[in-house]
Amino acid sequence: MITSEDILQMFHSETLKLQNLIDIANAKEDMSIHEIIETYYQVMNVSSIGTMLKQQTEYEVVLTDIKKTEKMISEKFDSDIHPRILTGLSTSIQKMTKTLQSENVAEKSKEQIESNAKLFEDLRQKMSTREFVQQYAIGIAHD
Amino acid sequence: MIEDLARNLVELKNEFAKSYEGKSQIQEIIPKSNSELFPIIDPHLESLHQFATKNPIYYNFFEKRIGSVDCIVYEGDINRFWLNSIQHTSSKAPFSPTWIMSGYIATLFAKELGYSEVVDIGSGDGRIAFCARILNMESCSIEIDETLVELQKLLSDKTDFHPYCSDAAELDYGSFDFKRPIFFIGGLAQMGGTALAEVALRKINSISHLKNNSGWVFAGTYSQKYAPDPKNKAGWGTFIEKNNLKAIRTVSLPTAWTFHEPEPTPYIFSQPI
Repeated sequence: MITSEDILQMFHSETLKLQNLIDIANAKEDMSIHEIIETYYQVMNVSSIGTMLKQQTEYEVVLTDIKKTEKMISEKFDSDIHPRILTGLSTSIQKMTKTLQSENVAEKSKEQIESNAKLFEDLRQKMSTREFVQQYAIGIAHD
Repeated sequence: MIEDLARNLVELKNEFAKSYEGKSQIQEIIPKSNSELFPIIDPHLESLHQFATKNPIYYNFFEKRIGSVDCIVYEGDINRFWLNSIQHTSSKAPFSPTWIMSGYIATLFAKELGYSEVVDIGSGDGRIAFCARILNMESCSIEIDETLVELQKLLSDKTDFHPYCSDAAELDYGSFDFKRPIFFIGGLAQMGGTALAEVALRKINSISHLKNNSGWVFAGTYSQKYAPDPKNKAGWGTFIEKNNLKAIRTVSLPTAWTFHEPEPTPYIFSQPI
């Protein structure tokens, strides 16, 4: 059985991981899709553990830790990193769409068409990542 | 006989998918000639090949023996059509075609069931309507994306399958002289197909001589990617029941979107109860 102590330890170690991901996000101009997804999952993970822990503890020191982490998520992630990621994805999708629309397919060889297909695949990935990120925004709005 | 043709095509596709090493986004095969497994008359086969060779979505083709059948493999790319189709707010499902051979077999079923006109709603490059025309059925191909309609016009110069650039929700179905039509709905139930079917069904039901006289074909899926419908029918069960239809036949056929999957696409043929 998982004790409150186990959850507290997990909360601390997962918060540390999140702190690292937030530092990486702050230091980078252009995050990869993998880094974006990993960061959002970690935010959700830490938030869920924090919620669970709040229901099980009365210790002021633990509640203070949870509040500190919630503040970090709200101020550093929700208000800063998240909007930056969303804007970055939208701008990149717009640029890629424009570039791909302007290509003249009629003059392309088999090899060029197949290598271009990779760009379309990247675009599809970015679009579904944006959808995922937008879902997070809907979640924040309902909190 | 048509069931055998469908089964043989699915087996041929499975064989082909195992051995295909190309990198194209979409690919499909058409038997090169009439055979025991594919007893299709030469003029029909010739038309099916013509549709593929004239169609700019295919950029390469070559001969390949698959099992005991000599085939032509067509390799294509639909990315730019996808890019265009996602700009339409009313287009719920991006363009992804059924196989040309599947369109042919599905329309053979439609003809065997006694329908005289094929109306393909959300018709992509118009292949289902084209196949209906080569079977001497009247056909009409409705598509909202003007780039795809341009493509259909390019393909319909010899075999006119009447492409219409229109939103299926806005179309006046009463202006056509349909007698006993069957409507193919483009899009899986889970990908906006039910919304498209609902609007078409409502419009057809308001035309008295068509209400009980029309057939409906829905492309389904058993993929675990989608939540199953509680009434089954490959995602269409609830829609079919709610709209007083009954499924009369299901035929499974290869499509571009199931090429890498073990299960082909089930086409649910339905009619009013």
